[in-house]
Amino acid sequence: MLGEFEYLMITAAAGLGDKAYGAAIREEIEHTTGRNCSIGALYTTIERLEKKGLLTTWMGEATPERGGRAKRMVRVTPKGVKAAKDFYDVVIRVSRGASWVANRTGSTS
Amino acid sequence: MTAIGWSFVEVAARLLERGEREAVLGDLLEAGESGLQGVLDVFGLAVRRQLGLWKDWRPWLASFGMALPGSLLLMGFSLSVSQTYQRLIHPTIFKATGLTVGPGFTLFLCNVFLLVGWSWTGGFVMGSISRRTVRVSAIISFLPCVFCLARFRVESLSRFCLLLFLLPAVWGVCQGLQIAQIKMRSALILAAAITLLTIPTWTSKGSWIPNWALSWPAWYLVAMAWRSEARKERERWRTN
Repeated sequence: MLGEFEYLMITAAAGLGDKAYGAAIREEIEHTTGRNCSIGALYTTIERLEKKGLLTTWMGEATPERGGRAKRMVRVTPKGVKAAKDFYDVVIRVSRGASWVANRTGSTS
Repeated sequence: MTAIGWSFVEVAARLLERGEREAVLGDLLEAGESGLQGVLDVFGLAVRRQLGLWKDWRPWLASFGMALPGSLLLMGFSLSVSQTYQRLIHPTIFKATGLTVGPGFTLFLCNVFLLVGWSWTGGFVMGSISRRTVRVSAIISFLPCVFCLARFRVESLSRFCLLLFLLPAVWGVCQGLQIAQIKMRSALILAAAITLLTIPTWTSKGSWIPNWALSWPAWYLVAMAWRSEARKERERWRTN
């Protein structure tokens, strides 16, 4: 099963589609979660997911705002989509009885 | 990011592999991070990459099975060869008798070849089995050298006699990084020659430990070459 950060990475990459690359994924994760995402965590996770066959990467085009340096483009594979879906289903299932789930009147107030 | 900050980031990024360096530097520029943050990011990634490599057994074998004990034992052997040289050859040259050499000259030559063989095979194995951690292995092998050089107390010899093994070892590391594996026949000849050269030391008690500690890389090369040939043979058999 995926780890939490791996799930975030796959979801961000899938959401960005053809525009998924290192800096964009990092920005998306930081923007969505409000947490800092280090370059180290980003690239080691990309490599790990690629080894598992959940992502594919290749060197993309260079742009002036990157000082003429190429992007490492990322695409989620069908296996990656399935792994993310499985993770999501598990989170939904395990959260059913939790007091913070919207449709439950819990005693947390 | 300032120009000075960026130059620090670029220097730090040399710790990364070329493709990754390109992507990471581009990402940092695009994100507009400060020089310090950029350096920390790059170091963080480099440390993670290096730690990731150590999950495998090969870097451990190269560093603590080869580099550390190997450099220690080879320094001792370099000293022994230097002392033999001093005893056998040195007086001969200064006596101007020219062609006469003292007894034990053959043994001295055997030891010189053995020193070169052990150093080269050790370096080769170190370079070939853990290419990406070879810098760490090199540092680990230098630690005993620095310690012994600082405490060297033999007045008749230069302290650099301890480092006779260094040149063939560095040559072996470079070859190991380039070609990774040698052919079965060459590996077998090398291993057999090294083992034969150790025969004169078999009579002395306790010599089998350093002998095998320094000879295993030669037999490791044989095992690797044999495995590679067996794999090729299987593939050939499958395709026919």
